[in-house]
Amino acid sequence: MKEGFFRPREYHRPNNLQEATWLLSSFGKRAKLIAGGTDLLVNKPPEVECLIDVASLDLNYIRKDGNGITIGAATTLDLIERSPMFSAGPYVVLSEAASNMATPTVRNMATIGGNICNASPAADLSLALMVLDSTVKIYGLDGSRVLPIGAFFEDVNKTALAEDELLVEIHIPMSPAGTGASFLKLRHHQTAIDLAVVNVATRLTCSDDFCEDARIALGAVAKRPIYAEKAKRLLTGKRLDGKLIQEAAEIASKEAKPIDDVRSSARYRRRMIAVLVKRALELSITRCET
Amino acid sequence: MTKRDINICVNGKWYELAVEPYETLLDILRNRLGLTGTKSGCAKGECGACTVNIDGKAILSCLTLAVQVDGKEILTIEGLPKGAELHPLQESFVKHSAVQCGYCTPGMIMNAKALLNHNSNPSEKEVRKTLSSNLCRCTGYERPVKAILDAARIMRGKDER
Repeated sequence: MKEGFFRPREYHRPNNLQEATWLLSSFGKRAKLIAGGTDLLVNKPPEVECLIDVASLDLNYIRKDGNGITIGAATTLDLIERSPMFSAGPYVVLSEAASNMATPTVRNMATIGGNICNASPAADLSLALMVLDSTVKIYGLDGSRVLPIGAFFEDVNKTALAEDELLVEIHIPMSPAGTGASFLKLRHHQTAIDLAVVNVATRLTCSDDFCEDARIALGAVAKRPIYAEKAKRLLTGKRLDGKLIQEAAEIASKEAKPIDDVRSSARYRRRMIAVLVKRALELSITRCET
Repeated sequence: MTKRDINICVNGKWYELAVEPYETLLDILRNRLGLTGTKSGCAKGECGACTVNIDGKAILSCLTLAVQVDGKEILTIEGLPKGAELHPLQESFVKHSAVQCGYCTPGMIMNAKALLNHNSNPSEKEVRKTLSSNLCRCTGYERPVKAILDAARIMRGKDER
């Protein structure tokens, strides 16, 4: 086979997590996990010699219990978009992000785990999961570990996963009463290949117009999705009004470190972060009241 | 290890095939089974011309490996007619002249089929949203939308699947 073509010679479909980690550790960098295939089979990396399919690991589920909602890594986006668990409360932020991605057919295939493990700085689901304080469960040769989602993203297309590890599930804790969240994405047209110019998710917990707690996550403005910590601190404990929201939006845009690329200039991205954060916060406030 | 044996059910018929790990379902359908109704447009998930149904759901055969669909039931455009009788969606596309060059048509129809599987009475907006998966560079979308809504109405009347 010529170099430069995607020509994996092996395909494995492990039946349990141990088997999957053995395969991952024995093939190392030459192996790649495959789920929906909507990133891998578009990029077709020529260095991949072995495909490890997650289809038989039973990671396609959305479960709710007293502690929150747990989503299996191989759950497809169409299920998240339509799930009643993400149709109310602050959890709608996840279905909003999912329905804003690609086309319906791609969403029938693409998985939540694939989206976040690809670690695009512009990934839509990452931001929604970040404002919901999600954690990720990772399984490897030494057993499982849990990380806050913010610590999962390390760089462009790089996660905290070691070579022998895979993402098993994402856990979303219950938010306190009076919490609202929203997701907004600036884009050209919604197509299979459309990525965010910038995207934003926010979550507010309010009590009598006072902000008790806040989260603001920004996408496509750094090497990984980031929290706007200064803007969050400004809001927390204060009475929410138009002036404060505007100020928080401007601070968030200063926390962004965007670059110029084919989709947009850095300057425009920074300006639009202020606009989107303001709108997302306003929308989150209206959702706190219901 | 290179080739793997798979069993797939295409349009109601089971096939046993030895496939390379990198061969897509699209490659297999067109080159091995001769089912060229499924089109290869962009071959990277952007155009929807290769849309087929797996277990009743619309998926892109260009972004699906043949090894991944081992044991699954696949429906392509060739599986829609009953003998010489076209499927109501196909009839409707003909009746509404919803076809120009025809390259995107099988993908559109298979996508519409999957929509009608779980929603027998879709709104125009739902049909348009579904067709956002399929690029057409000739006629636009007016006629396909009308054709799908009309087919849905006819299928509800017939109470056929």
